[in-house]
Amino acid sequence: MIRLVDVTKVYRSGAYEVVALNGVSMNVETGEFVAIMGPSGSGKSTLLNLIGCLDKPTEGKVFINGVDTSQLSDKGLTELRRDTIGFIFQQYNLIPTLTALENVELPTIFKGASKLERRKRAEELLSIVGLEDEMHRKPSELSGGQQQRVAIARALANNPSILLCDEPTGNLDTKSGKAVMEIIRKLNEEEGVTVVLVTHDPSVAEFAERIYKIIDGVITDVS
Amino acid sequence: MYLELARRNLGRAKMRSALAVIGILIGVMAIASIGIFSESLKATVMENFQDLANELIVTPAYSQGYLSIDERTVSKLRKIPYAESIIPIKSYTELLDYRGKKVPVNIFGIDYVEELFEVEKGGIRRGEAVAGSKIAERLNLRIGGKIIIKGEEFRISGILKEEGARFDINPNNAILISIEDFGKLKDAEYSKVIVKVESLEYIEAFKKSVDRIINSREEKVSVFELKMIIERIEDVFGQMTIFLMAIAAVSLFVAGVSILNIMLMSTIERTKEIGVMRAIGAYRGTILRIFLTEALILGVAGSIIGGVLSLAGGYAIDMLVLGSAKYIFQASSVLYIVEGILFGIATALVSAAYPAWKASRLEPIEALRYE
Ligand SMILES: Nc1ncnc2c1ncn2[C@@H]1O[C@H](COP(=O)(O)OP(=O)(O)O)[C@@H](O)[C@H]1O
Ligand SMILES: [Mg+2]
Repeated sequence: MIRLVDVTKVYRSGAYEVVALNGVSMNVETGEFVAIMGPSGSGKSTLLNLIGCLDKPTEGKVFINGVDTSQLSDKGLTELRRDTIGFIFQQYNLIPTLTALENVELPTIFKGASKLERRKRAEELLSIVGLEDEMHRKPSELSGGQQQRVAIARALANNPSILLCDEPTGNLDTKSGKAVMEIIRKLNEEEGVTVVLVTHDPSVAEFAERIYKIIDGVITDVS
Repeated sequence: MYLELARRNLGRAKMRSALAVIGILIGVMAIASIGIFSESLKATVMENFQDLANELIVTPAYSQGYLSIDERTVSKLRKIPYAESIIPIKSYTELLDYRGKKVPVNIFGIDYVEELFEVEKGGIRRGEAVAGSKIAERLNLRIGGKIIIKGEEFRISGILKEEGARFDINPNNAILISIEDFGKLKDAEYSKVIVKVESLEYIEAFKKSVDRIINSREEKVSVFELKMIIERIEDVFGQMTIFLMAIAAVSLFVAGVSILNIMLMSTIERTKEIGVMRAIGAYRGTILRIFLTEALILGVAGSIIGGVLSLAGGYAIDMLVLGSAKYIFQASSVLYIVEGILFGIATALVSAAYPAWKASRLEPIEALRYE
């Protein structure tokens, strides 16, 4: 499903270089729930962004569903992100001018869904995350927990098989964080969505079947 | 949906969007109002020329050494069909004596004065003289007053209306007498012949006949059409309009620069959003489209308001400069408004092209990381 082979990522800024990932290899099977843990700056986000085809490795290869992503054009990568991958960010990253409903509709618009179809899908997803009464609010009128649930609904809009979460509870209080994690767990268990989740909160990592530990761009432990 | 998204994005920075719209509006208004005004000016000037369009002037072929047109040539001219009237004119300069004052004036020997000029006061009488408006004013000539030219006494029977449009013969500073009376003053041939054709279509045919009948062996006379001269004037007006509109276009250019600036600011401010959209499946082309749609809204709004206001602008300039706005509602006004609107929209799109392209080229990850 997700396969990383000897992935290295080097950031060059002027004279000096940062090796964010150093020869990382990993496999995530379909329907698995994997957590990636490590201290700040260890390369977790870099790893997730490479899996999500938002960035390209300096060396090594990333395979998604058997496809070598280094062979894809910008268009191909965009379609992979749109159709196969759902992103959840620490900062929610909702579009501030759009309502909750419209935010959830957005990926389906990019896919070219009909108005009726996408409206139905977005309403359905928002009721799954418990926001049927907040559908027409703008992000600024929602709490952090609510915004993150909108972000989850948006990530699911095009029915992706992979959900990538970068510290999804990082900005949330314990209670909202728990609610968000429950939703993610349910998606994994009931819908069979593959989840890769970055966190440095052990109580969040507990939801995962497997935990990768990463320090200074190297995977040190898998449990 | 993209339209709605663009509309809301513009709503986020209302002041900025409003300024961009106003910029375009002013540019479009300047272009269209000036276009409308030039067209009105042209129409006003042409109004004076229109009844001259069916006239031809026959002059001696100076380049061939001919300085006058003889009687035989005039009678040949008279035999050519198509002509409604043939008015030969003799002229020379002579001292005029009026109440003891001596001044040089042009003396025209011409019959059928009323076919060419309008009489303002008095009338035309055989054996008497008609004075041009300027000379009448200068010398304070009265109807019934006596002038002496080369010892011959003439009574002033009429005074002409001031003539503005003619450039072939100018009667304003002239004394007009009959050909017969002219003969008593000077033995001269004709200096030119004015021909009125029955209809504009006959101009070419008449010219061809002149070439065949009079100029067959050598060129004795030249024929000028006033129509051609009118066309030249139209050309000049056309060029003037383009020049004025180019000046107006500067304001549209400024508006374009301000849109460029606004859009650049907007792409920078929305870098993260662009990253998010790319992350959830927006193509580069989609980002491009979103930004161009925003520019299109600004352009269309500014251009249409500007187009409508340019009618008012054109009216104001017309009233101010021409004192009349009767030519505002011509087809050409609509043309200039449409042209202004198209220019306005194009300016908005062209100015937004670079920022939109830049936004679409952002790497998703770089855009997402942007704070
Ligand atoms: N665009 C970048 N340019 C330069 N260095 C970067 C960039 N992104 C990340 N880094 C560096 O790479 C390392 C890993 O970063 P990141 O993957 O964000 O870590 P984490 O998510 O585990 O906190 C850090 O040292 C960070 O400073
Ligand atoms: Mg991180």
